[in-house]
Amino acid sequence: MPLIINRVRDEHTVSKDKALVDGKALVDSLIKVVACYRHLASCVGGPTDGLKLRDDLRQTREKAQTLAVAICHHLTSYLRDRSLPEEQRREMALLWVAFSSSLELLHADMCKVFNMYNVFFPVNSSNLVQTGLQGGSSEVAARALSLPDLTQAQTRNLPAGLERREHSALELEISTLGHMIDDMETKVNVLRWMVEPHGGQYADPISSTNSASLALLSVDEEQPRRQPLRRRSYMIVLLLLLAVVLVAATLSVCVVFFS
Amino acid sequence: MTIRNTLLDHGQRFRPRMACLKKAEKVLLEMQDPKTGVKSQIQRLVITTIPHALTGEDIIAWLAERFHVDAQEARHLGSTLVALGYIYPLQHHKRLIVKADASLYRFQTPYFWPTQQWPVEDTDYAIYLAKRNIRKKGMLELHEQEQYSHLHKWMNHKWDFIVMQAKEQYRAAKERKKPDRVVFDCQERAYWVVHRPPPGTVSAMDYGLNRRVDPGADEVTTPDFFERIMIFTQQSIMRPRVKSSVSIGALVKHCAIYHGHDPFLSKCLPSNPWLTDDVTSWNLNMPNVETPTKMRVERWTFSFGELLSDPRGRDDFRLFLRKEFSGENLAFWEACEDLKWGAAATMREKAEQIYKTFLARGAPRWINIDGKTMEITVNGLKHPHRYVLDAAQTHIYMLMKKDSYGRYLKSPVFKETLRKAACPEEHKFTDAQLEHNARNRRPSLSPIILRQQEQEQRARTAASAPVDITQVMSRLSRRSKDAEPRPAAQGVRGT
Repeated sequence: MPLIINRVRDEHTVSKDKALVDGKALVDSLIKVVACYRHLASCVGGPTDGLKLRDDLRQTREKAQTLAVAICHHLTSYLRDRSLPEEQRREMALLWVAFSSSLELLHADMCKVFNMYNVFFPVNSSNLVQTGLQGGSSEVAARALSLPDLTQAQTRNLPAGLERREHSALELEISTLGHMIDDMETKVNVLRWMVEPHGGQYADPISSTNSASLALLSVDEEQPRRQPLRRRSYMIVLLLLLAVVLVAATLSVCVVFFS
Repeated sequence: MTIRNTLLDHGQRFRPRMACLKKAEKVLLEMQDPKTGVKSQIQRLVITTIPHALTGEDIIAWLAERFHVDAQEARHLGSTLVALGYIYPLQHHKRLIVKADASLYRFQTPYFWPTQQWPVEDTDYAIYLAKRNIRKKGMLELHEQEQYSHLHKWMNHKWDFIVMQAKEQYRAAKERKKPDRVVFDCQERAYWVVHRPPPGTVSAMDYGLNRRVDPGADEVTTPDFFERIMIFTQQSIMRPRVKSSVSIGALVKHCAIYHGHDPFLSKCLPSNPWLTDDVTSWNLNMPNVETPTKMRVERWTFSFGELLSDPRGRDDFRLFLRKEFSGENLAFWEACEDLKWGAAATMREKAEQIYKTFLARGAPRWINIDGKTMEITVNGLKHPHRYVLDAAQTHIYMLMKKDSYGRYLKSPVFKETLRKAACPEEHKFTDAQLEHNARNRRPSLSPIILRQQEQEQRARTAASAPVDITQVMSRLSRRSKDAEPRPAAQGVRGT
């Protein structure tokens, strides 16, 4: 019976579902790119700062902007459609909230990066802050641009005059983004505060085993914090010893008994 | 072109700028110069090594040399840099101070430098807490958990986004190499320790209240604006002038007198609570303490105003006046103060009470003011307002100042107080004791409780204050009037 119902379903709603799925995919990738942009932005001014990092930032930013424009068109067209069923409208509104929050984060990050460019201009190794970073940013940039091949990200000719052009381009892009956010507020009427999210309160742990960096951090912590861990390991060792002693005792008893 | 974040701010928050931030940035950029800056070392963790670590002693030595100050001043300067968030400690990350030993510090990345151009967003904090929760459940401290629940309630509509962004940031961090990941985690943690300190901690980024009006914006030149300018200049012309030699001389004299009593400029005995976290100084200088400190008693000799404004000094003076049988002057003065600063609803009753007690013919505590002032006051009392007794109060004040004050300073009461005054020893805390003090900071008595204690004290003194019947009797006999001594009115002082 359900199969018949599925076949009889309206093509209209099927396309709307597809639109929802598409929209979700786009918003997910925008969130990913914004997260990568933040990581790259935190490297600016540090010892790994250089033309390469700036280029990575530029590429990530451009990707984010193309995604943003695409999502904007996609979502505004569907949200302005009055014939959208309630269920789908709610989902679209959720996507809309996620989209606008990502744009706000991106706008803030771009403003901060612009500010930092003003401070660390031109970028040469003498005025960079020694923050302890060593590795490059290429992996994060590759993740942002969804490039499976890292070498593709690395071998690029960095043209001269990149800095100045990037500087002015960034200024322009910030104002463009600002206008986009403004337009969004006025054109689409989504009541943000009425949107109900899916998830519960606490973010579920991705993997409880990958606490390697946590371990590195806690090595440097003060003594009192290590005590409970030490005590636990002592208990385990003691228990093991006891078990071994017990086994040895029973074995010896058996040997004595049976010989 | 300045990029201002007024777009998302909606122009509602104008923060008074902290000029120290720009200066701190300049110092920091000098500090990290590989040739002339602070010596950097390598931090060795279990598996990896991370460069660019600094020791506390190196920081202090560099600051002392750069600014030509002594080690203690350099340590305070270093602690300010840490408290603002430009340098963060690697061990004991929650205590934002610089210790003059081999403990390690590192420079904060410019992305996380404190800035007032953009407010520290709660969304970012929510994402950070979610990230920590993702990594390991139950890692949040109590105050962080409370904040997390609070943010969950207020940002509920964005919560899916926050969790997703936290997961994406976590995954992006995994793309980086392990030492970089550790460094980024430390940086972020240090940033939030500065900007979301646990409750009860003093934050260096506390700048006071947000302003409603943008101080950077130019003022619109309407006719109202010009009218204001005109009134201001006219009043400036009309103001009485004093020769600068006279005014400067007065300032110099004031500074010379109060120099030793200023806790900023000279030592605060036993120790400045803001520096050593030891509140003995405040306890010794409570408003109604039995034995005042020597410095406090010395301040009473500077001027009559000082004596009256200190509650303990006023008590002492009141005691002296009671012995001299001229307590009604001070009582009248206090009643006038109460009228001036009290609630408007009870003003009329208070004024009448004061008249009946102090000013009327044959009043129980009749004060001695000249005829003209009395006439003005009585006329004014027909339509009483807050300042109706101003003339009489000034007269009595000058009388007390010229007459009683001088005698008070030579009296046995004052000499006794001076003799019994406490002179506390200066505290000499070691660093370990200072840390102990900092850990044991407790909030002081609530101002509500203090006010209740004050009111109880006042009620007690009011109940126990004897009516100056002897004074009344002597005046009556002088005027050779045959009047019955009035029964002592309760609540004589009208407070």
